[in-house]
Amino acid sequence: MLKYSLKRFAGAIPTLLIIVTLSFFMLRAAPGGPFDMQRAMPPQIKKNIEKMYHLNEPLWEQYGRYLGNIVQGDFGPSYVYRGTTVNSLIAEGFPVDLIIGGFALLIALGLGIPIGIVAAMRQNTGWDYGPMALAMLGISVPNFVVAPILILVLAVELQWLPAGGWAHGSPLHVILPTVSLAAPLVAYIARLMRGSMVEVLNSPYIRTARAKGLPTRTVILRHALKPALLPLVSYLGPAAVGIITGSIVIEEIFALPGIGRFFVNGALNRDYTLVMGVTILYGMLIIGVNLAADLLYGVLDPRVRYQ
Amino acid sequence: MRVRDGGRWAVLAAVGAAGLVACSGNKPAAAVHKIRVRQAPAPPAQQVLHRQLSMSPRTLDPSLAEGQPSQHALQDLFEGLTTLSEAGRAVPGVAKSWTIGDGGKTYVFHLRRTARWSNGKPVTAADFVFAWRREVNPMTGAEYAQALKPIVNAAAVMSGKLPPKKLGVVAKGPKTLVVHLNAPTPYFLQLLTNNYMYPLYPPVVKKWGDAWTRPQHIVSDGPFMLTAWVVNGHLTFTRNPHYWDVRNVRLRKVVYYPINNPGSALQQYLAGDIDWTASPDAFPRSEKGWVAKHLPDQLHVSPYFGNAYLGYMVTKKPFDNRDLRLALSMALDRKVLAKDVMRGLAEPAYSLIPPLHGYKQQVPAWAHWPKAKRLAKARELYRKAGYSRRHPLKMRVLYMTEGPGVRHFMEALQTMWHRALGADITLYNEQWKVYLQDVQYGHAKLFWSAWIGDYPDPYTFMQLFNQGFAMNYGHFDNAKYNRLIDAADHEADNAKRYRIFEKAEHVLNQRMPYIPLYYYASYRVVKPYVAGWKPNIMDRHLSKYMVILKHHEK
Repeated sequence: MLKYSLKRFAGAIPTLLIIVTLSFFMLRAAPGGPFDMQRAMPPQIKKNIEKMYHLNEPLWEQYGRYLGNIVQGDFGPSYVYRGTTVNSLIAEGFPVDLIIGGFALLIALGLGIPIGIVAAMRQNTGWDYGPMALAMLGISVPNFVVAPILILVLAVELQWLPAGGWAHGSPLHVILPTVSLAAPLVAYIARLMRGSMVEVLNSPYIRTARAKGLPTRTVILRHALKPALLPLVSYLGPAAVGIITGSIVIEEIFALPGIGRFFVNGALNRDYTLVMGVTILYGMLIIGVNLAADLLYGVLDPRVRYQ
Repeated sequence: MRVRDGGRWAVLAAVGAAGLVACSGNKPAAAVHKIRVRQAPAPPAQQVLHRQLSMSPRTLDPSLAEGQPSQHALQDLFEGLTTLSEAGRAVPGVAKSWTIGDGGKTYVFHLRRTARWSNGKPVTAADFVFAWRREVNPMTGAEYAQALKPIVNAAAVMSGKLPPKKLGVVAKGPKTLVVHLNAPTPYFLQLLTNNYMYPLYPPVVKKWGDAWTRPQHIVSDGPFMLTAWVVNGHLTFTRNPHYWDVRNVRLRKVVYYPINNPGSALQQYLAGDIDWTASPDAFPRSEKGWVAKHLPDQLHVSPYFGNAYLGYMVTKKPFDNRDLRLALSMALDRKVLAKDVMRGLAEPAYSLIPPLHGYKQQVPAWAHWPKAKRLAKARELYRKAGYSRRHPLKMRVLYMTEGPGVRHFMEALQTMWHRALGADITLYNEQWKVYLQDVQYGHAKLFWSAWIGDYPDPYTFMQLFNQGFAMNYGHFDNAKYNRLIDAADHEADNAKRYRIFEKAEHVLNQRMPYIPLYYYASYRVVKPYVAGWKPNIMDRHLSKYMVILKHHEK
């Protein structure tokens, strides 16, 4: 398994290189630079700023310099937030996303799995239709609708929770963004879980287990759960992407200091290094989650062998 | 939950789906809490103000900062030779007094003996010299350095022809600063309140380089000092015990929250997270009606020193034709634009300079004509320029992508032109940086533009049409206009200077190298218990004067 993991990590390097190269040149191809302002600068000053940031060098030279720096873990200075490095911006902003993203995933799994199991066990009853109808709603209603409704009711109307902001991750500030981010995931996971559970429950070995007279709880928890979780594991990759894209929207609505806002504002203001830094981080995250999912397969399914 | 009508949810879902608009036309009644305020300051522990900032400042280095949000944060942290009164006028700051000599070209400032940095060290004339030399030094890369151009040799230093120490500013002893100007610059005292004119504490800047603005290093001379800064999160300021006027500073703490989504700002205001919102991101313009109805005592709308206009490329066809330029301008119904499309959060503009004390706006006669007469004249000019309903003007107007508000406005223009003249104008929008490039390279013939004055003086707008000014994107070049601006430049008597500017504005009305659209308004909601501020045309409100009053919710 270790060998397999290392192999996968090595395999990720060309992928990352492609991401870096493509986004580097695509960003540069966009018209306008980070220091193009409404008020034109004196030419000498603009020249000096460009020199400071090596923007006066040929593009391939800038690319080479950039690659050299990121290999050493240096994402360079931000162009928009002057005097600040991309590393420090990400170090400040990423924990915010880790907290809301992590909690959102926990909530999604913690609620989605039991709901899916119950729905599967009580197929075609109110226990099934009710939650599944809700889940359908959760999937179709995007989080930029869920979030304002939650704010309206819980923050503006009842004044139980703050409507936004971060305040060093105080628990109260975390609740609404996390719930808004988790809502579509809970729904998706519940539906996925129900589907796979129904399939597993109909398989011969479950019939055998029941025939042996095992109590339902044992049948579900010991025999059915593990194989039923497999489709969920393959959903982890897309779920990570969903959390990342979702958090960009959620951060904007709740005015959170996460990296999603850096990503959007950075792209609009041509903050090349900041956008690159966040892109690389997102890329590594998605690759990492997919690897974790593949490794989890082996834990859940004894038939999987890593070579 | 006191949600009564079920229709609200449908409205909400629709609004949410339409974009990131976080508010609908129906807000729960409970959102509008009745607050009872008493005209006495709250106890010190409650002297904490939560203010919205439109954007996270790009930097807190006063020499490098650019834009309104940075200015708003920095004016609480730093203080220049002059500072602003509640009404937005320049009043003594670090300088206790000054004398003006040599026909308005030499300023001698006498610094307060009590002015101190947040580490207790005295603020000296040398600190200003250091800061201003750093600003104009091209190696610093200060984007706003050209604002110092009125100072002798500033332009030459910026272009690298002279060393920074040749800048016309001299420290005569620790508490006397002499500034030499190229020409009498009546707005100079107002310019001194801006962030690029603030002093710097040289030891920290030299020691920490770029990192000197971090909370653990920064030393500032204003009413407050920085204690925490999370980009896009918040900026926390606490009262500076060494500030010379600290006895009159009542707020203990000010927290700024960068929120650039107006919908989120209104929600956070209603939820009680923020007390003060920032124009123009205080609430979505489409919510004006709701706000005016439910929070009439908390809504503040006042004139702002900025204008929006359409620029013409006057050196190329078809807008080298004055009649056509005038026709397009006269065809617009500005009252409808300001009152209906902009929901009253703007004033109709017929000429360049927004309302300014002491200045007489040159409003063209046709602005007062009845609509039918005005449109008839517009059609006549349109015909004279060679266009008609059968041979309409086909043109595209460039504007920048900035949410539905701008688009609706442009659609209104398009409709008005079509109805009045039959002109076939198409809309074309580009992302901000792309738009800037197209305008700056002269690719656009008709383009949206806006300008906010840097200081309350006509010159900040007048320069836009001066030949040779970098931002004269329409390449307007009128000998009479240029002469007038040059004459105003050498006039020390401000009243006479204003009369010259009035003549220049009249030339613009005649030549119409642009289409004035509206003057800006600043608008915001503020909790009734926040006192110590007045509306002012620069929309700058120092926390130093503000106070939280005793209050409780009913």
